[in-house]
Amino acid sequence: MDGIITVFVCEDSLDGIFTGVYDAWDSRLGHKNVRLEICQEEELELFCQYRPVETDREKAEKVFRTIERRMGEGAITHICQAAASADGRKADAIYRMVVLGLSLERGSEVVNCLTYGPVSTVMDLSQKAWHEAHKLMGFLRFSELQSGVLYGPVRPVHQVLSFLAPYFADRLRHENWLIHDVGREEMAVHRADMGWILVRDEALDAERLKWVSEKEARFQELWKCFHKTIAVEERINRSLQRQMLSLRFRSFMPEFADDGGRRT
Amino acid sequence: MQHIYMPEKISLMEKLKILSAAAKYDVACTSSGTSRKNTGKGMGNCTEAGICHSFSADGRCISLLKILFTNECIYDCKYCLNRISNDVPRASFTPQEICDLVLEFYKRNYIEGLFLSSGILYTPNYTMELIYQTLYKLRYEYSFHGYIHVKAIPGADQEIIEKTGFLADRMSVNLELPTAEGLKALAPNKNRGKILKPMRLVQNRMLENKSELAIYRHAPRFVPAGQSTQMIVGATPETDYQIINVAESLYQKFELKRVFYSAFVRVNEDKLLPVLPGGPPLLREHRLYQADWLLRFYGFQAGELLSEEKPNFNVLLDPKCDWALRHLEQFPVEINRADYYTILRVPGIGPRSAQRIVRARRMGRVGFDDLKRMGVVLKRALYFITCNGHTLYPIKIEEDYITRNLLAVKEKLPPGAGGQTTYRQLSLFDDCQALYSVGNKA
Repeated sequence: MDGIITVFVCEDSLDGIFTGVYDAWDSRLGHKNVRLEICQEEELELFCQYRPVETDREKAEKVFRTIERRMGEGAITHICQAAASADGRKADAIYRMVVLGLSLERGSEVVNCLTYGPVSTVMDLSQKAWHEAHKLMGFLRFSELQSGVLYGPVRPVHQVLSFLAPYFADRLRHENWLIHDVGREEMAVHRADMGWILVRDEALDAERLKWVSEKEARFQELWKCFHKTIAVEERINRSLQRQMLSLRFRSFMPEFADDGGRRT
Repeated sequence: MQHIYMPEKISLMEKLKILSAAAKYDVACTSSGTSRKNTGKGMGNCTEAGICHSFSADGRCISLLKILFTNECIYDCKYCLNRISNDVPRASFTPQEICDLVLEFYKRNYIEGLFLSSGILYTPNYTMELIYQTLYKLRYEYSFHGYIHVKAIPGADQEIIEKTGFLADRMSVNLELPTAEGLKALAPNKNRGKILKPMRLVQNRMLENKSELAIYRHAPRFVPAGQSTQMIVGATPETDYQIINVAESLYQKFELKRVFYSAFVRVNEDKLLPVLPGGPPLLREHRLYQADWLLRFYGFQAGELLSEEKPNFNVLLDPKCDWALRHLEQFPVEINRADYYTILRVPGIGPRSAQRIVRARRMGRVGFDDLKRMGVVLKRALYFITCNGHTLYPIKIEEDYITRNLLAVKEKLPPGAGGQTTYRQLSLFDDCQALYSVGNKA
């Protein structure tokens, strides 16, 4: 077996990765002989043994609690955010960071070990995922359907629904709303004054999403008008605008709808 | 109130068009500085960092619904589109209309809140009262918890400004122009004292509020996100040195949260206003903001950046590089030993990467590769630092040499801020062609 690396292939979710961390550790193969990967990614390598990880909520929670207890809030926040990133390196980097963190006398120092590759990777991915979530907190647009439900479609690179949902749950507490990750077919559904849940693999009736309320068109027009007049003609600067608000966010924003969501 | 102002019958769309166009020269559109959860009633919250909701065609952030209550005005400030002597379409909102717009926009996540300014209708007090009523309606009738930035109108009574402050997150009084002389020339109805008075008032009230909050945690909060101001740059002949000195004293003596600079845009034909053939002085505005950051986050003082002898910023280099080049005796800095503030003064290192360096070196020695990963801009920093006693390349600590190299790595200006000074790299072949065409003609 020596020299052969065992690859633990986990599901692309926080629970999946944490179960992978648990199993890899539990396998007692030695840290240098194991690797974590996210499933459906790249082709298989030689001299590797692939072991699929079956996501187990209980194991994942154990790992979560251990990290939280031993490494503190800072570390768990960054690890969760990194786990939401779309980068394939995340699973292994998280594993290495956890291994390092548990070996330190003061586990909370692990977030400062930026000279150690995996830690700096985790911090970097964490920042990227959070950054996108933060941008979408501003760029997400709701439209009001006839039923009064607010519908907000997004197409993020990273899995940011679990960051957006609690934010909007506080802000629009008395509204029924639905944030739809169009690319992943995932939804965060909020019921007024209750809570929110994450829903996967549930088809939405695309036709019904077009039935917007009476007021909707009027306020979209007002918003577009505001967006246009607030710009100072003497300072028009499309490339700065594009740098600050990249085109990929624009497809669901009414103020850019007239140019097919692409330019302006 | 005795008399009720009846706006003319024009559509809401028309009004929004007129009153947002009238407000667009106001710079501040930030929604930062307050963190507030939803109280369980009504709509909205605030985040400390502030959130940008869109960007307009000029590349500026849109965070708040930025409007004037009315663009009627009794004053005649030369630089202002809404001055009394201009013949422009006039309109006024009603408090109800503003509430509708804010709530419906907010619900659709278009905006973070409201930025409400106004022309002076009848008297400062009358105008301030209208603003107060609008805010009251939003906060109490609709339980709106989003961000509100409001202007304190100079000349309004202390009492009404105070009442309004308890409903707003941020208050601002526009300084308009950097010096009292400039103000006198271009804004005949205003004077410096009248502008500074409400500023001082807000400052004092905030201070009192702090001690109230220390005793009663749930006491109402007065302007929790602080106050800001803005001044127009380039309309009057002040130097950069004067401007940042004014900014510095505003930060120190008035405890302002932000000072905004707005490149002068010539909206009115007036013989007192300068003609700027290159358009608004955007590069100058950019340099002032860079310097402003150095004052607020890097521990610099205005006197270190500029002086009477050198009163304007270098067009080619950012203020921090410029400062470093004039103080080469303080460099190179050893990354593994120097303290936070010394590291912060190195060009190419900002607060974020400086903090990372200080944290990371507790856990092990930091090398150049690590610096890169921490977000240090090495192509600028490399002339000023050593890691473990070595520089990245063999370099000379010599002003000419470093200046040449810094100029070779192009500074990343925001697109468009290059303004009138866009440089083109000349190549040998360009010259040849020029010669060739000259030769042909001859």
